[in-house]
Amino acid sequence: MSDTEFSIPIGPQHPALKEPASFLFKVDGEVVIDVEPRIGYNHRGIEKAMEARTYIQNLYLVERVCGICSNAHQTLYAMNVEEVAGITIPPRAKYLRTLVHELERIHSHLLWVGVAAHEIGFDTLFYYVWRDREVVLDILEEISGNRVNYAWNAIGGVRRDIPSDKIPKFQKMLDILAERTKYYIQVATTESTIINRAAGVGYCSKADMIRLCGCGPHARASGVNKDTRRDNTYLAYDEIPWNVVTAESGDVLGNVLVRVGELVESVGIAKHVLDHLPDGPIRERFNPLQKVPEGEATNMVEAQRGEDIHYLCSKGDNKPYRYKIRAPTLANIPSLAVKLKGGYIADIPIVLAGIDPCFSCTDRMVFVDETKEKTWDMTSEEIRKYGIRWYANGLNK
Amino acid sequence: MVSISDIVSVVVFPGALFIIAYALYCNWLSRKTVARLQNRRGPMHTGYAGLLQPFADLVKLLAKEDITPGAANKALFSTAPVIIFALALAAVFLIPIQSLTNLYAYTPIVSFEGDLVIVLLIFSLIVLNVFLAGWSSSNLFGAVGATRVALMTLAYEIPLVLLTLGPAIMAGSLSINNIVAWEVASVKSFLAAPSIWGLMLGVVMFIGFAICILSLLAELEMRPFDMAEAETEIVHGWQVEYSGKKLALLVLGRDVKVVLASALLTSLFLGGPAGPVLPPIVWFILKTTLCVLILSNLSALFARFRIDQMLRWAWQYLTPLAVLQVMAIVALSGVI
Amino acid sequence: MAMERELLKNAASRPCTLIYPFEKREMPKGSRGKHDYDEAKCTGCGMCSRVCPSFAIELKGLGPKCEGLRVNLGACLFCQQCEESCPTGAIWLTTAYELAVINKADGILDFKRTPRAPAVPAAKPAAPVEVKK
Repeated sequence: MSDTEFSIPIGPQHPALKEPASFLFKVDGEVVIDVEPRIGYNHRGIEKAMEARTYIQNLYLVERVCGICSNAHQTLYAMNVEEVAGITIPPRAKYLRTLVHELERIHSHLLWVGVAAHEIGFDTLFYYVWRDREVVLDILEEISGNRVNYAWNAIGGVRRDIPSDKIPKFQKMLDILAERTKYYIQVATTESTIINRAAGVGYCSKADMIRLCGCGPHARASGVNKDTRRDNTYLAYDEIPWNVVTAESGDVLGNVLVRVGELVESVGIAKHVLDHLPDGPIRERFNPLQKVPEGEATNMVEAQRGEDIHYLCSKGDNKPYRYKIRAPTLANIPSLAVKLKGGYIADIPIVLAGIDPCFSCTDRMVFVDETKEKTWDMTSEEIRKYGIRWYANGLNK
Repeated sequence: MVSISDIVSVVVFPGALFIIAYALYCNWLSRKTVARLQNRRGPMHTGYAGLLQPFADLVKLLAKEDITPGAANKALFSTAPVIIFALALAAVFLIPIQSLTNLYAYTPIVSFEGDLVIVLLIFSLIVLNVFLAGWSSSNLFGAVGATRVALMTLAYEIPLVLLTLGPAIMAGSLSINNIVAWEVASVKSFLAAPSIWGLMLGVVMFIGFAICILSLLAELEMRPFDMAEAETEIVHGWQVEYSGKKLALLVLGRDVKVVLASALLTSLFLGGPAGPVLPPIVWFILKTTLCVLILSNLSALFARFRIDQMLRWAWQYLTPLAVLQVMAIVALSGVI
Repeated sequence: MAMERELLKNAASRPCTLIYPFEKREMPKGSRGKHDYDEAKCTGCGMCSRVCPSFAIELKGLGPKCEGLRVNLGACLFCQQCEESCPTGAIWLTTAYELAVINKADGILDFKRTPRAPAVPAAKPAAPVEVKK
């Protein structure tokens, strides 16, 4: 290391990060030379906890993998269980699930715009956007009873219905959101201090993004035209007209434009759903202690941050045998490292915020032995024996 | 021979206690303005309309534990906050506010030929101490913040000095009191006999006022130029290791710097505490309130600059405009 | 300078902050808050306790002799599954949301129920008498 090179740790606790993750930066003056990401600080053992609870109880546990992608995870879990149990949900339930899926996307993207504004020091925009976020939170509270963690899905459908006399009110609130979003698009493209901090900052080319398997709005900002809602369609997305939003610039400004564009699209989808709700029942029957036949299922949804993949393995009991979650941020971290190298220290927060990191979704545990270059998983019995050996043999001293 | 009124004017009014109280008021005003611009309320419940909130924050800081990092340079680390606060306070003594004995006079506590230069010197000394405060804290983020502060002076120091030269050239004196007297006299003569040159002088002085506000935004480390203290990037920058009493002094020093900057602006461009009918103290408060309002509005309006962007912007726009403004003033001073 | 008009418009309009606790917001019907219990409807079946994802509900006795429920608000997720699974509608969620307490013990709702005698099965009808011919 030369004289002016030193290492700066950002995280695990840092005001720039909303969730703990550690990034060790090697900097030369103000320029970043290298970055080493480390995750795993938010690991809570949810996959293990899911093996000890019934399918209905797991609905609420899987929601809490993440606070803001909660409905995406819950929808995906319900889809998996319904596929293994052979349940088809009624059309009204499909539309209602789509509605809350999109409302949550609106919620998440508005939150992200505010957080990104805060990271570049623009607190005024942060406060305005979060004030407008209250509109979508009010809609969600009227529909589902809670502002986050809506517990909207049931196995076989949705848990509550929307009375048709409330729909005009929701339409009006969505119109307010559409108007405010147009204002934010205008601000993002004309306010020069924002463009100074966001344009050209954190660039990743389309080829690099495809090679490093980025997903979600982060990849679409580099021009990669992939969206699970269109490519691997689920719920009611094949029946609703909507567009995939991409940008060509590959930098933070591209991230902003893609997410704000998706906001507009989501408001359009939500309004279309409210106008065209089919009649009928909202759920199929599923007993709380019902056993699910043996089988496996893998499904994907387009969560707010990208492609979310869950795998369910059932051995015929009323509790899942194994549930595996692959969250989108895990796929976005390698391209994040490419974006950070060569930039300034001052750009670190906004580039980190640009991928919309959700480390709560991401953290899983896997065992790595660097000397033997081998990775493996352990069952609970093996962990128990390993723990006893570790403490008894004084390996922790 | 030092008299009782001298001691009272230095310690109480318009000296140290008044300046500290006024600094707390300016802090409250700034917070309320920024809050209203952001559609929120600002401090509400401590005292009437939250007026006691800055004082409550100060008392809270004084009660907290004061930790000095083990690897820090203790002498520099402990004395830097004291020097910053003392320098800022001393500089305000040179600016006319209100005389203690005469209700309609406004001689400053200390006034001599060249005190404008002393005020500018104090600005630089404060920045030096800020750099030492950050550098001696043995924290990486503190060092980054300290280097950023030192780099910022390259950007705003030259326009600031040039702009303060303008009124000095017109007044023919480097004493702030004389500059205020010249402004009063020139406004009176303009109102008595308006001329095109007087109008042009007014326009040029207004441009100088605008540019000086921008330079002072950088000097006060307020948004959009608060990169030395950027919370989201370097966790509080050069102040990162300070806590308890030392942080209280730093916060107070920052507020007194705001008073110093607004008082300097009013004295150089807005005619100081002079004004018809009302006593000078009222005019002083009104004019500095206007300056604080403008500073807070600009602070809420922009995102934070990056340090290299700030240097480039200052040298592309700020310094040439300041040079042009001084040249215009020199040309006008030959005519008027 | 692009946002200056918006800033001034916001300064002139009413701030969006509620001065809680002097101004409180009206919670929409259906918001999930504190539990409420009707002991007359409760049969002591224990369904609520079995479906709770965080095991927050504890029954004191099962069946007709059940003496009530204990709901640990500290563990509760407010998911409403207990209300959904209750066959008689004896437990439900109200909109009360100010549930902060200083001691964890105060955050446990204790619902009482008077134990009832077990239902007496109806008398079996007498066996039909076979008329032997």
